Amino acid sequence: METKYILDENDLPRQWYNIQADLPVPLSPSYNPQTKEPIGPEDLAPIFASELIRQEVSTERYIDIPSEVRDILTLWRPSPLYRARRLEKLLKTPAKIFYKYEGVSPPGSHKPNTAIAQAYYNMKDGIERIATETGAGQWGSSLAFATQLFDMECKVYMVRGSYDQKPYRKMMMQCWGAECIASPSKETNAGRAMLEKDPDTSGSLGMAISEAVEDAASHANTNYSLGSVLNHVCLHQSVIGLETLEQLKMAGEETADVVIGCAGGGSNFAGLAFPFMRERIAGRMPDCQFIATEPSACPTLTKGLYAYDFGDVSGYTPIMQMYTLGHGFVPPSIHAGGLRYHGMAPLVSILHHEGLIDAVSCHQNEVFAAAVAFCRSEGIIVAPESAHAIKTVMDVAEECRRTGEEKTIVFNCSGHGHFDLSSYEAYFAGALPDYEYPADLIAASLKDLPKIQ
Amino acid sequence: MLIGFVVNPVAGMGGAVGLKGTDGAVEEAKLRGAVPVSPGRARILLSLIVPGVHTFLTAGGPMGESLLAENGHPADVVYVPDGTETTGEDTRKACQVFTDRGCDLILFCGGDGTARDVFAVVGDTIPLLGVPSGVKMYSGIFAATPAAAADCVNRLEEAVMTDAEVMDIDESAYRDGRLAVTLTGIARSPALTGHLPSSKWATDAMHEGRAQAEIARFIIDIMRRDTLYLIGAGSTTAAVIQALGEDGTLLGIDAVFDGDIIARDLNEEGILHLLNRYPRVQAVVSPIGAQGFVLGRGTQQFSPAVVERIGPENFIVIATEAKLSRTPALYLDAGNPEISSKFPDSLQVICGYAMARRMPLIQ
Ligand SMILES: Cc1ncc(COP(=O)(O)O)c(C=O)c1O
Repeated sequence: METKYILDENDLPRQWYNIQADLPVPLSPSYNPQTKEPIGPEDLAPIFASELIRQEVSTERYIDIPSEVRDILTLWRPSPLYRARRLEKLLKTPAKIFYKYEGVSPPGSHKPNTAIAQAYYNMKDGIERIATETGAGQWGSSLAFATQLFDMECKVYMVRGSYDQKPYRKMMMQCWGAECIASPSKETNAGRAMLEKDPDTSGSLGMAISEAVEDAASHANTNYSLGSVLNHVCLHQSVIGLETLEQLKMAGEETADVVIGCAGGGSNFAGLAFPFMRERIAGRMPDCQFIATEPSACPTLTKGLYAYDFGDVSGYTPIMQMYTLGHGFVPPSIHAGGLRYHGMAPLVSILHHEGLIDAVSCHQNEVFAAAVAFCRSEGIIVAPESAHAIKTVMDVAEECRRTGEEKTIVFNCSGHGHFDLSSYEAYFAGALPDYEYPADLIAASLKDLPKIQ
Repeated sequence: MLIGFVVNPVAGMGGAVGLKGTDGAVEEAKLRGAVPVSPGRARILLSLIVPGVHTFLTAGGPMGESLLAENGHPADVVYVPDGTETTGEDTRKACQVFTDRGCDLILFCGGDGTARDVFAVVGDTIPLLGVPSGVKMYSGIFAATPAAAADCVNRLEEAVMTDAEVMDIDESAYRDGRLAVTLTGIARSPALTGHLPSSKWATDAMHEGRAQAEIARFIIDIMRRDTLYLIGAGSTTAAVIQALGEDGTLLGIDAVFDGDIIARDLNEEGILHLLNRYPRVQAVVSPIGAQGFVLGRGTQQFSPAVVERIGPENFIVIATEAKLSRTPALYLDAGNPEISSKFPDSLQVICGYAMARRMPLIQ
């Protein structure tokens, strides 16, 4: 009985899969936040590398992965696919549970899959410094790791709540030569305005994005980099699903019945799910179900509106059509910092809107209970973000126990939780509040919250 | 920091001998063989407080002096009771001196009666922390246990200041088996929150005020023009009225329709009258007191008849995070088991702008 399925380095995909080629309806255009005109490459050029702008709007189905990028990815890729036999036994489920483990990368998550590519294209454009935000610290450390491989400087604005909870993430970034400060900071106009409004704020991804964008726009030879949400990020993450399809074949599975991932900005979910979605749209996996799991505290897909909104608090980013709780929404300071984002990748949003992706939300105590069950059966102490996926996996597997269905469940275990142990400690101490978004009250008010200008 | 420490040496005596309270019944309690509870509680507290961190002021003899000395805490005796039998008057006089001397905190051992005496002098000028050692502890200024109070004193620098209700129980009604609890005032009390960013003592009052303002801003944003809102009691609900630009009734219930206050400090009859006129109604309430009662303690205006008419689904519960950290579960006593049972076993509590917590509800 095999436990893990390992691909050869040569089997690392040579091309990314771009779901924009297969969408049932095309994405709506994004708009310039100032002129409110549809956005063009020239609007993005001041802070993004030219190839990334091209990829953002490309509808080519496959895009070559540069060999320099592939070389670096082989440091940990292809990543293993596991069969979670011990978890299956614990749950007494007839379902087969597989998980793709992205925690084997040096920074510990799926994030370097796009960080390497983004750093590479910026280097090609002669950029010397990149500014970015980070929620849980996984993205910041991934970009720190990637930029130093190309001799670039990196400045990371880390959401205050996580910065305080996870001091080791900051030290990791320092090891890789990046500078990390808490956001909101006093170093940007956006940050100063936010601190004036609420000096005690725990920050949010939306706030940190504003700071990083401002930093990039106001420093010479500096570009901005986003770790999720955008189309090119989902593109770079497609290696996860492309590898998984091959590995499932090694395990004798031709199809998956349920594909599950946690969703913050949507990139790890998209990375696993989109290659499977290609199969479903092409009619080769017609019954494959897709479930994105979010925190009840920030239920963007389950309770948000499908509308045009900014990607950040200060309104510097393009206005995109996506599921959103409103760019002014500051999610409570839950421990899955990487899922505290008011919006959702437009690509994941459109597929949810079209009924191809389902979404569920859960409270943080039940999420940590699932994470503990997982580490006590499979051994891996997962990131609180990834634990959201596990909670849904367990729910689906338990449903299979009741119905007797032998479903094949595949989920993305997006990262390890070695720097999140204080969150586990808080869970064991019974000190985790079960935050939730008061969606019913908001809906009943008939006011158009979120307010979108 | 400078802490005023006072013990009500006879608090808790009535309970063990079935008197349900010691006010005006010390002699009777002694005759029935009662022994004092509060000195024992005070000893546990003082043995857990790290010596030498804070400076203590206290009252003479059994009101604090001897207990502090016993546990190795030097203290300045600033008031000496005359006579052997101490009274509420002694507590009040000691607290007056603590106030005049500019204490940062008053730490007391007693029950609701003692809390009322302390509050009568101090009001919300100095934070209060009670060590539960009486017969009834409905007031929100009590820590859960002497150990919790000691923890809070040891980590006072990290504590967040919360509003805490002082409750008054009608003692003679209580002895007759009726529970009549009224809200008499709002004091300030320190709380350790664990997961909140620790903020400095000096800025705490602002912290709590800002948290209340965020909740108020949200409630106002979701208010409908066709709905009557019954709002109160306490400082969190008063902040909602204040955000509408009006002065609310801190200890009572006000009615708001279409952004205006249409009635103040309503009694049961007044509420029922309004319910006849307005078909759509929601109540905005905040948990009250040490246990976190959403209904049934301190807000008699929400009588069983009123609660039934409003309907469990139309109660919006609001509370700041700092306050929730003192009340791990919410309690409910709708005055009628049948109505109470219509409430779910957990409630959504609005604790910020578009932010809520799911809390267990115990009946
Ligand atoms: C381990 C891990 N999983 C998931 C996420 C959520 O991001 P996304 O939805 O873009 O995958 C993060 C974000 O920080 C993360 O660190």
